Amino acid sequence: MSSTPPPSEKQKSSEQAWAKPSDRLNVEANMPAGSMNLNVQGRQLNNPLQGFGQMWQKTYRIKLIAPRVPATGKAATPQDIIAGWKANFPKFWPRGNNFYAPLTEIQPGEVAVLNLKGPGGMPLSTGVRVIYVDDEQFSFMTPQGHMFAGMITFSSEQEAGEVYAQVQALIRASDPAYEAFFKLGIIGKMEDEFWTATLNNLASYYGASGQVELKTQCVDPRWNWGAAKNIWHNAAMWSGIYTVTTPLRWIGKKVSGKK
Amino acid sequence: MAAPLEATVRQQPNAAVIDLKGDIDGAAEDALQKAYGDALANKPRAVLLNFANVGYINSKGIALIVMLLAQARKSGTRLLTTGLSPHYVEIFNITRLSDFMKFYPDEQSALANSG
Repeated sequence: MSSTPPPSEKQKSSEQAWAKPSDRLNVEANMPAGSMNLNVQGRQLNNPLQGFGQMWQKTYRIKLIAPRVPATGKAATPQDIIAGWKANFPKFWPRGNNFYAPLTEIQPGEVAVLNLKGPGGMPLSTGVRVIYVDDEQFSFMTPQGHMFAGMITFSSEQEAGEVYAQVQALIRASDPAYEAFFKLGIIGKMEDEFWTATLNNLASYYGASGQVELKTQCVDPRWNWGAAKNIWHNAAMWSGIYTVTTPLRWIGKKVSGKK
Repeated sequence: MAAPLEATVRQQPNAAVIDLKGDIDGAAEDALQKAYGDALANKPRAVLLNFANVGYINSKGIALIVMLLAQARKSGTRLLTTGLSPHYVEIFNITRLSDFMKFYPDEQSALANSG
C-alpha cells in the first residue's frame, strides 16, 4: 500500500503563492458609480500562446536610488518594495486609469476590473486575475478581450547592493484588430508610457529617483491565425459599443420609470 | 532558499529528455535555454521535460516554460511533460499551459507517444 508523502515546506509555500484553478473569471469587486464593469465576468484567461499577434517579452526596469520605507525612513529592501507595491498597486497607475479589486492588497486568485484609457482615449473596460504572489514578485494573467494575451510580473531584487523594481510582460496582441493598433505603434507606445509612469510613481513613493530602462525581445514573430476569432471578445469594441449606447440606456430607464 | 536549476539532456530514439532538478524561477533561464538548445541537436520529434526533481516553480519560471513552448511550436517540435505532481498540474491548469502540453505519468508512456 502506498501513501502520499506529506507536502514539503516548499510545496506548502508554493500552494499559498499560486491562485486556485478557475475555469471562468468571477468579479467580486465593488464597482464605484460611473465605473464600467464589462468584459471580465465569465471570461477565460489567455496565456501568450492563445493570442494572435507577434509574441514579445518587454522588460521595464528601474534602479531605485536610495529608496526608503515611507513609514519608518529605513532603507527599503526588495521585500519592502513588493509589500508597498501590493498594498498600493492602484495608486501607482497613471492618472485616468483605474484598478478595481475586491481586497485592499494584491492576493492570489483575485480578479480585478480595469478601466483604462484605450486607443484614442476611448474608455476600455477589461480585467486581470492575480495568479501568483510571494514576497518578491506577483503576477497577473489577462482574460479574453484584453489588448494583450499574456502574463505580467512585478518584481524587485537586489543586485550588487542596488535595489531594482521591474515589470516584465510576456504578451501578444489578443486579436487582429489589436495587432493592427500595435503595428501602428499606438498600443505599444501606450503600454510603454503606462509602465514607465507606474515605475516612476513607485520610485517617488519610496523617495527614490531612477531612470526606467526598456528591453524588448521578439519571442515569436509569427501571427497565430487560429486565434483570429478572439476579435469577438475585443474589450475595446464592446466598451465602445457600451459607451456610445449610454444615452439610449438612460432614455430607456426614464421611459420605464426606473431611477 | 532557491536551488539553482540543473538541466541534463538525454537523447532517446524519437525524443530528447530534459531532466530538471532544482527550482524553476527567473534565474533558471540560461540553464533551461541551453538544455533546450542541446535537446534539439538531433532534431527530435519531441522534447520531454521531466519535472520529477523540481522543487519550486514561480511565475517567472512559468513564463520561461511559455517561451520554450513558443520556440517548440515555431520549430514543429512537441513538448511533453512527466513527473508533475498534482500541484504542478494545477499550476499548468491555472496558466492554461495544459492546453498545449501533454502530461504523462512516466517516461515510458511519454516516449511511447512521442512519435
